[in-house]
Order: sequence, then structure tokens, then C-alpha cells
Amino acid sequence: MSSEENLHDLAEYVIKFGTSLGADQVEAYTIFGSVKSIQIELGSIRRFTDTSNSGLGIRVIKDNSIGMASTTIFTEESLEKTIKDAYSLAKVSPPDPNFKSLPYDPTTAPTISGRFDEAVAAISVEEFTNLILDSIQKATVRDDAIISGNFNAGIGERYILNSEGVDRFASQTSVSGYLGVKIQDGEDIGNAYYYDAATQMKNFDHIKIGTEAGLRAKKMLGSQKIETTSLPILLDPDSAYGTISPILSSGINAFSVFNRTAFFVDKIGDAIASSKLTMIDDPFIPEGTDSAGFDDEGVVPKKLTLVENGILRTYITDSYTAPLVGLENTGHASRSSFASRPQPAPYTMKIKAGSVSKDDLLADMKEGIYLMSSSIHSRGDNPQVSAQINQGFYVKDGEIQYPVKNAVIGCTIFEIFEKIENMSKETENRSGHEAPWILLSPLRVSGGK
Amino acid sequence: MILEQNERMLDILEHAINKVSLSSKDFLDIRYAYAMGESFTVRNGRFDSVSNQTTGGIAIRALIDSAWGFTTIVKTDKESILKAAEKAVRMARTGSKYTKQERSISDSWVFEGKGATTIEIDPRTVDKEVKFEKVVKTEKAAREYSDSIAESSSTYQESHGNEIIINSKGTKVENETHVIRLMKNVIGREGTKMQSVFDSTGGAGGWELIEKWDPEEEGLKAAVMAEKLLIAKEPPSGKMNVVMDPSLTGVFIHEAFGHACEADAIIAKTSVLEGKIGEKVGIEEINVYDDPTVKGLRGSFAYDSEGTKARKRVLVEGGILKEYFHTLETATALGMEPNGSGRAMNFNVTPQARMGNTYVEGGEMTIDEIAEIAKDGVYLKDSYGGYVMPAKGQFYFSCQMGYFIENGEITDMMGNVGMSGMTLEVLQNTFAIGKPWEPAFQGTCGKGGQWVPVTGGGPNLAVSNLVVGGTE
Repeated sequence: MSSEENLHDLAEYVIKFGTSLGADQVEAYTIFGSVKSIQIELGSIRRFTDTSNSGLGIRVIKDNSIGMASTTIFTEESLEKTIKDAYSLAKVSPPDPNFKSLPYDPTTAPTISGRFDEAVAAISVEEFTNLILDSIQKATVRDDAIISGNFNAGIGERYILNSEGVDRFASQTSVSGYLGVKIQDGEDIGNAYYYDAATQMKNFDHIKIGTEAGLRAKKMLGSQKIETTSLPILLDPDSAYGTISPILSSGINAFSVFNRTAFFVDKIGDAIASSKLTMIDDPFIPEGTDSAGFDDEGVVPKKLTLVENGILRTYITDSYTAPLVGLENTGHASRSSFASRPQPAPYTMKIKAGSVSKDDLLADMKEGIYLMSSSIHSRGDNPQVSAQINQGFYVKDGEIQYPVKNAVIGCTIFEIFEKIENMSKETENRSGHEAPWILLSPLRVSGGK
Repeated sequence: MILEQNERMLDILEHAINKVSLSSKDFLDIRYAYAMGESFTVRNGRFDSVSNQTTGGIAIRALIDSAWGFTTIVKTDKESILKAAEKAVRMARTGSKYTKQERSISDSWVFEGKGATTIEIDPRTVDKEVKFEKVVKTEKAAREYSDSIAESSSTYQESHGNEIIINSKGTKVENETHVIRLMKNVIGREGTKMQSVFDSTGGAGGWELIEKWDPEEEGLKAAVMAEKLLIAKEPPSGKMNVVMDPSLTGVFIHEAFGHACEADAIIAKTSVLEGKIGEKVGIEEINVYDDPTVKGLRGSFAYDSEGTKARKRVLVEGGILKEYFHTLETATALGMEPNGSGRAMNFNVTPQARMGNTYVEGGEMTIDEIAEIAKDGVYLKDSYGGYVMPAKGQFYFSCQMGYFIENGEITDMMGNVGMSGMTLEVLQNTFAIGKPWEPAFQGTCGKGGQWVPVTGGGPNLAVSNLVVGGTE
């Protein structure tokens, strides 16, 4: 079922059959994925996996009512049943007065270079294994290091067709992996992990995965509990991206804006963060893992400046939500799976760098916490943050002292945005996510001491 | 109809098992998994999504010379399955050149039988309008309560699964599962302050499990609480005594202890409970169990996805660690008995050691007696999620709301907050166990990208020295 012709034919059949049943509009979203996985346990290979994922999601509109059905089984009988299910559900569902139409976008989707790499698609099990063994070797920082992890290499295809004329196809490759390393001295445990993901084999740094996972595990030895107090927080680029981007993503999603649960509802043109924060969302980054020439409804997206010097510039929308918030469709429809209804979500956000060096940010810290790949986790439906520090260090007089354990940061997402005090001039790009080091003014830190 | 289909499928799977050339040490299992689901959500008076989902296919695992090969297909004809089985064996043989760990599956455990969730009223026979009415009325009651309710939603889900599992040791099992759930989620908002209230009902069973849900009452209850939380006090920060209600005790024991008892983490040496069977891990009064055989709970099932018959697991008794959650592989590796914990989310993934219904056994104390002993601290209620890092022994969980405990009295209300603790400390730091126990936490547990339904529960439970991450 991996050939383009088959999936396209299947999607076309869905549109025709759905329309013949009496549907006003029909959409077929089909995916095919094939992934090779290798699981690592105790520093050696545990499992080879080769799986295929196929799925079809159908959206049917009848008298402004929407019915959806999905299947992984592509027999004629199953397809007919799935289309009929979607149509029957549309017929019994109450109409949605906010639904206007499935989209049609005649724009030619831009070609994003480097989204498909034959070296990833055709990698043999032996080649992939040897690469992983190199990574494990780098992670073996001590003879007793306990190493586990998982590596994946695969291809994915996506077809979106609808009765309004959308007819899109894209394929991509992806290679990813992580290693976790645990080392132990008596009761003292040093545990850390590192990951990387890329569309191109040449960008996949398997050596760094091993080196960093091992190095970080050693750094995590000697953790201590700290007192409860308020401290400035320095975020490394991974923590910065992981903290800032989910807050903005939930906060400017037009679906939540319409429901008035978005953090930044009615805030376009207003300051939502310190003036240090400028963020863009770029769907077209060459070789980007999250790049796309069209969204999950087939609409060509726009590159957007989301926040400029702390001022909110726009929300992200899709075909359903754009009219509800009075904006144009920004082409940000995203589905969590082929079975789900799309909602707006960003592609790849970039946080603009500052002007000071990252070393100076640390050196100037009298007392604080340095977070390493440990974002301040928030929920999209609640601005209250209560986030455990997973990999963080206590800093005194500009020097890292020891890792902290059993500590929680308590604040709100509004505080995080307001307290962006400074940004480094250096940025780091992890799997396409680019961010600088970010210093936050003191936040409440609860400690176990 | 299903019986006939299952018999035909069993023949096809057996054909493949018999055709593949294996030595007596080798292991091969083939699992047919088919699932159908229906779900819909009403949000702020509009149907958000109304959908049906079908997934189905064949999963094939081979363990040859200590390495696993795993593949999946959606075609269910004899030839395709045989080809896929041979592929899994080839992959395992390739892997065996690289593996350093000795792994096998014991010949001792062969299971034959049929299991099925008991359903009194099959939800597939219930009219859509009747189902719609439950969510529409729940959502409406909450939304219309007050202008401070920014978003009200209610979701209905039902899923019906059918698994056939056979393996080269002789196991031959058919298992049918039915899970139903009705949820409500209300978000209150005043300016930048927001508070969420979530609750659900249901379990492994049929429409009878949600029939008694009174939508107006449930919607209203959530809205009243969301509005109260908007003016509740900010939660405190620091190390303190924490008293948990049964729902929070459920998520606490799941995150703090349950995950660390999963034997795939034990054999990988990534759990702080490795090698601690028979050791004291908690106070003498504490008993922790997991029982997937309790009728009607969300984490209940008759056989796991490896075909092992499910049974009650005794995790901690008298404060002593007694048992881990096992797959066939982990039980063989550790020389222990499998206990039916090998759960797989669907046909496209391999079974992992997982929990079912995990709970702390009830004690004797009332909540007032516990508050009196705690003297100062917080009484926290209703789970808001959590996670654990078993290798480090550090866990996090959060609640939707709570109350202060001051001078032995439960006083003012507070909003949601998260907590951090250390696995090897918390059961030792337990100082009061309430009565009775309830399976109050109804969740969906994620591990390695797989999501399975679980419940957690217990009595009101008091633990000292938990770190509470509030702002005050």
C-alpha cells in the first residue's frame, strides 16, 4: 500500500463514494509510514522492529453537520463501511453553525529541500546497527554505565484530498534516536539522556547522542536537595524552547482563542512578554523535521512573526477557526493522528537571540538554577505552573555547584514571559528547534531540604 | 459471528506458527488485534467531533538466540502472515549477532482459554441520541451556571477490542475487551486566572457503567467547583505534610511506586526497585496491590496481550516489596512467575510490563483524625496527572485543588499544584492511612508511546516531606 498511486486512488475513491452517498463535502486524509526501530537495553541490541503504519481519516459534511471515521484496514469492505460510518455520523450529528467549508487553496505548495533522504529510506539494518553501536560506545563513560535507548529510521507519506479540489501529496524521511545513561555510586545516581532527530542522515549526530548522554549522566552525580526560596533560572536552549514554545503554542491557538481559554486571548497588539522576546514560526526551513509545504488540510502555510519585542502580532489559524477569530487562514491545521480533527499548531518556532554571551549569563548569576534539557512544563488549559526540575543545577557565584533533586518551580506562564530578563547571543539548534540561553528573573523554587 | 471469525483467524495463525522453522529454545508469537471505537465531544454548545475509529492487524514477535524481531501487517491472509512471521525470525537472527544479554521464554507457561469483559448493556445497541443526551446535558449544565465558565466540554468514548494470541510454546487465547468512559471538563476564567475541573466515570464494561451518571448534577458540580477555585488561595511552596484523597492516592501510588515495579525497567536496571524484592520499602501498615481481575474497572482484563491469564499482584505487603509487573520475558529473566502484565495498545506495538488497577489498601482512620495527626500541611484532591523517572527514583504528580490543614483542622481552599517526591522515601514517610479505599483515579497511562486504560486508588493517605510546588 506504499505506492503513490494506491493511496491517491484510495483517497479519490473515498471522495467519490462519499459524494455519491449525498455528502455535501468530503475529505480524505491518508498516511503511510514504514519505520525500522532498534531498541537498546543494558548497552546492547534488544529488539529489531520493522512496522508499517497506514491510516485513513475521513471527514464528511452534511447540512453543516460533521461526521468522522477512520480505519487502518484498506479492504474494499472496510473502506465502504468507514465512508458510510462517517456519513451516518454526519447525518445524526447536530449542525455546527460555525463550520463554513472545507478549504480550497489553489496555491502551488513550495518545495522544501531536504525533506527526503534516500540514505535514511534505504538504510540497512546492519548499517543502522553499526551506527548505534558507535553511539553506545561513546555513552559508555564507565564500565558499569547502564545504557538504554531507541533509534528509528523511516519514511512517511501523506495525501490530502477533498471534494473542493484540494489534492496534495508529500513524503519525508526521518531518523531519530535517544540514549539514557545511568551510573551509580552507592545510593548516588547520575541519570541523563540525550536525543537527536533529523530528516537527513548527514544531519543526524549519533555520536553526540552517546557523548552527551554519558557526559550528562556523570554531571548528574552528587545531586542534593535545596531550600525553598526564590531564584533566577537560566534555561539552556533545549529548556528554553521546551518552556517558551508550548506556552505560546497554546496561548495563540485560534481554537482556544475562540473558546476564550487561550492564555493570550484579545492580546494582539499588546505586550505579552518582556521586550526581549521575539519569536517567529517558519514552516519552510530546509531539511526541517517539522517543515511542510501545506498543512493538514492542504493549505499552504504562512511564515509568521508571532511575537515581536514582547508584542503579540497574530494568532495561528486553520480553515475552521480563521473566520471565528476574524483572521485569514494561516495554514496551521495540524492533526495528532489520521483519525483526529485538525486544530491549529505551529511548525518550527525560532526564538531570536540576544546580545550577551551565554558564559556571561552564568558568570553573573550570584545564586540560581541552571536547567539542562529540563523545560518548565505547563498545561495548555491552565496558566498555573508547578513543574519539577528534572535536570537542573544549583549555581553560586557564577559556578555550577551540584545537581538538584526533588525540587519544583511554582509560577504562572505570564510570569515566565514577563520575567525574561536576558538572552544569549549564541543559539543552539536541536533537531531544528533553535533557541538561545534565556535568563528568567527569580521564580519560586520549592526544595526538599 | 465473532466466534466464527475468531476460529478462522486461529486456524490462519496456527498455520503460520506451524510452518515457521524454529528450535525448541526459540519463541514466536502472533497476535491478531482488532478494535473499534466511537467518540464524540460537545464543547461550548457545539459538537466538536463525532467519530468512529477502526484499527486492526497482525503483530508478530520472534525471540531467537536472545534477540527480538518484531513486525506488523494489516493483511490477514495465510500467505502474508507466514511471510511476516519469517521476516520477524530473520530480524531476530540478525539481532542475535549483536546482543549481549541472554534472553528466552520459559516453556513452563502455556495458557489456553477465552476471556471477555462482562457487559450488561452493549453500548453498540444504545441509540446515538441517548448517548448524545448525556454529553449535551452535562456540558450545558456547566456552561450555563455562570459567566465565569469560559469553556465547558463533555466527551463520550467507547472501545471494543478483540485479540487472538498464539505462541510457539502452545498458548492459545482469545480475549475480548470493552471500555466505556464519560468525561466532563470545565475551565473557569476571570482575567488571567484560570482553573480546570475534570472528572470521568466508566470502566471495563457496558452502558450500565455510565447509565447512572446524572448529567445536570455532574455538570453543575464541576462548574460550581471551577468558580470556587477562581477565588481560592494560592497553593503553598516547600516541604510539608500532604494528605491525599483516594483519587490523588491513586495517581500517587501509580507514579511513585507502580512504574518502578515494572519488570522491564528492573531487568534493564533502570528502576530504583531493582533487587529490592523482600526488602522493606514502606511502613509496616502499608499494603499495595494491583488487580486487573476486579470487575468493571478501567484497567481490568482477563488475559494480557501475551495470552497470560491476569491475576492480582501483591506489590507491597506489610511494607515489604513482594512482586513486580511481569511479561513472559521478564519473568523468565528473573526466575519469577508471569502475572499477566504484558499489555499492548494495539497491533502495531509490542507488549510492555504495565499496571492495571493499582491501589493502596485502606486503613482505619477518618479524614478528621488524619488532619489532626498531620497538624499542619495540605489536604489535596483529584488527580491532574503525573510522571516518573524510575531510574532516578524521582516522581511528580499534581492535583486539581486542595485545602490547607492548620492546627489539625481542614481550612481554606486552594487551587491546583504539583508535587515532587522520591520513590524510596515516600512509603517510609507514610504516617496515616484512612478508610475506606476507592478506585477513584481513572486514567490513561503512557509509556514508550503506548497508552492504556488504568485505575488507581486507595484511601485518604498522609505522607510527610513531599515537596509542594506552589507560589506562596
